[in-house]
Amino acid sequence: MLIELTKRKEPSRQMLYLTPVIAVVLTMITGGIIFTLLGYNGAGAVWEIFIKPVINPEKWQDLGVKAAPLILIGVGLSIGFRANVWNIGAEGQYVVGGLAGTGVALLTWEMEGWWILPLMCVGGFIGGAAYAAIPAFLRTKLKVNEILSSLMLTYVSVQLLYYLMRGPWKDPEGFNFPQTRLFNDSQILPTLTEDTIIHMGVPLAFLIALVAWFVMSKTVFGFQVRVVGAAPHAARYGGFDENRTIWLALLMGGGLAGLAGTFEAAGPFGQMVPQFPTGYGFTAIIVAFLGRLHPLGIIGGGLILAISYVGGEGAQTSIGLPNAATGIFQAMMLFFLLATDILINYRLKIGEASAEAAQ
Amino acid sequence: MNDAIIISIVMTVVGAATPILLAALGELIVEKSGVLNLGVEGMMLIGAVTGFAVTSVTGVPMIGVFCAMIAATCAALLFGYLTLTLSSNQVATGLALTIFGIGLSSLAGEGYVGKTIDIYASVFPAGLAEHSFFRVIFGYSPIVYFSFFMTFMVAWFLKRTRAGLILRAVGESAGSAHSIGYSVVGVRYAAVAFGGAMAGVGGCYYSMVLTPMWAEELTAGRGWIALALVVFAAWRPGRLLLGAYLFGAVMTFELHAKAAGFSLVAPEFLAAMPYIATIVVLALISLRKSAGAKAPACLAQPFKAST
Repeated sequence: MLIELTKRKEPSRQMLYLTPVIAVVLTMITGGIIFTLLGYNGAGAVWEIFIKPVINPEKWQDLGVKAAPLILIGVGLSIGFRANVWNIGAEGQYVVGGLAGTGVALLTWEMEGWWILPLMCVGGFIGGAAYAAIPAFLRTKLKVNEILSSLMLTYVSVQLLYYLMRGPWKDPEGFNFPQTRLFNDSQILPTLTEDTIIHMGVPLAFLIALVAWFVMSKTVFGFQVRVVGAAPHAARYGGFDENRTIWLALLMGGGLAGLAGTFEAAGPFGQMVPQFPTGYGFTAIIVAFLGRLHPLGIIGGGLILAISYVGGEGAQTSIGLPNAATGIFQAMMLFFLLATDILINYRLKIGEASAEAAQ
Repeated sequence: MNDAIIISIVMTVVGAATPILLAALGELIVEKSGVLNLGVEGMMLIGAVTGFAVTSVTGVPMIGVFCAMIAATCAALLFGYLTLTLSSNQVATGLALTIFGIGLSSLAGEGYVGKTIDIYASVFPAGLAEHSFFRVIFGYSPIVYFSFFMTFMVAWFLKRTRAGLILRAVGESAGSAHSIGYSVVGVRYAAVAFGGAMAGVGGCYYSMVLTPMWAEELTAGRGWIALALVVFAAWRPGRLLLGAYLFGAVMTFELHAKAAGFSLVAPEFLAAMPYIATIVVLALISLRKSAGAKAPACLAQPFKAST
């Protein structure tokens, strides 16, 4: 059998949107085979991780709650990735944003009022943005690579979290457990209805993604980001300031990650704990790519990764699949997506059916 | 401070420096060929778990190290296939490799968490290796001497050999190298494979010598520090050696500060030190405007020969 690649005259738009689907399907097939070879129930694993959360309505609420932070962080990262700004420290910005929101909550813990939650959210956004300002400053002023600086700061943020939990922010009535007080009723994100776990942060995350879509496709800022990323020379010629774009991309990415952090702290957690960093900041990188760096695509990508999280948890109890399997499936999705990217610019020909292509 | 404490400090610095030196030497060659592989952390973890598992099953450390090299090289070749053959984005593919390595190593190491292996391997007679003073020179794992040897070999290869010249040409000007008949993709594949093998040895040093045990994400970001080290060293092997030992000293500071009863700052701050130091160092070297600090011209740019 002969596999041949021929260059397309122009990039295929069809393939641009089709390859994420192909990548997910290839992940399911290959993942199933690999886990069977490793001695697990491979078909069962694929069923539990990718299909069951979708067909079981009881899991839909979980999907929304898991997808919200992934979408928020993914949308923020996509702005940077489009401008060729590689912020991979969203996990750290998520943690610091969560801590900033928690800080507001701890300052207001004896107070009540509708204004506390918005203040926490603003605090979270500023916290994440301020943490991303460090790599932005280092990149624009000192030309320090933002990949390394933002990632190093992630490790620093985790130590900051441990320090605050063990020391100054520890619940004085918490039997010495390293965690903060429980947030009060004015500090917890309300749920949509009484019998759901969907908190206000979930619809807000979807709404913010829609706003981002508008900003990126209809405003000068969005255009500027795309030009700086795709054609830096043209951008300079056109008078777009590259440094300004780097700043904005990192501040938006950090701010949205920080907001996601506050939503998580004030939503599912309801307090701050040392187990707060769960890798959403890294998974959101996969979400951003799977969504083709487009806010609407990222909503889809966030839901797919949320499915794998919820399904992975289910598979642990139902068929004893290890927790690490989820991460492997998620990484495989990104691998297959990057591999099938070539189909956008190249046409795949299998066998000797080249007669019609030659015409 | 008495001699015994100084000796033990030196030995822990060597222990901390060796794995990042090995991984950074591999990445140096990779980057010299014009490829940026951000998957060092993932490859180190794959090497770490493979070395540990194989050694605890076979009882032969040599086989463990060898298998660690093979496993990490396979991971590197997966990266190579995507970036070199399929021209995928190097940054994204490297990240994917790290996420994959974290997942794969935790899955493969599931049955080994908390177990230890007891291996004794020394290149020198026990009289020297366990001598109260001379152990500071002779008392290390063979991997440590291997890292010195490889530093020399990499420096010699880049400076003095024809193959090294070709490698640098491919990294500096892929188009020219291609037009005078060298296989850009072939050279880059070889470099990426070498980078994988070195990350594998560096990784298994953690699980087999330093700890020696397996835990999830055992390397704790050291692969990223190795990447920073290459930038710090301005792509020069000699400076890489110096940088690795500087970083080694910073990384072990926490350990010694604790042992000396130093409690002015929180232990969490000491644990964050290596990462803060990395950022500070990256900022400092960018202030220096020497011509030697230039990255290979074709770094992270895909090359596809037009036929």
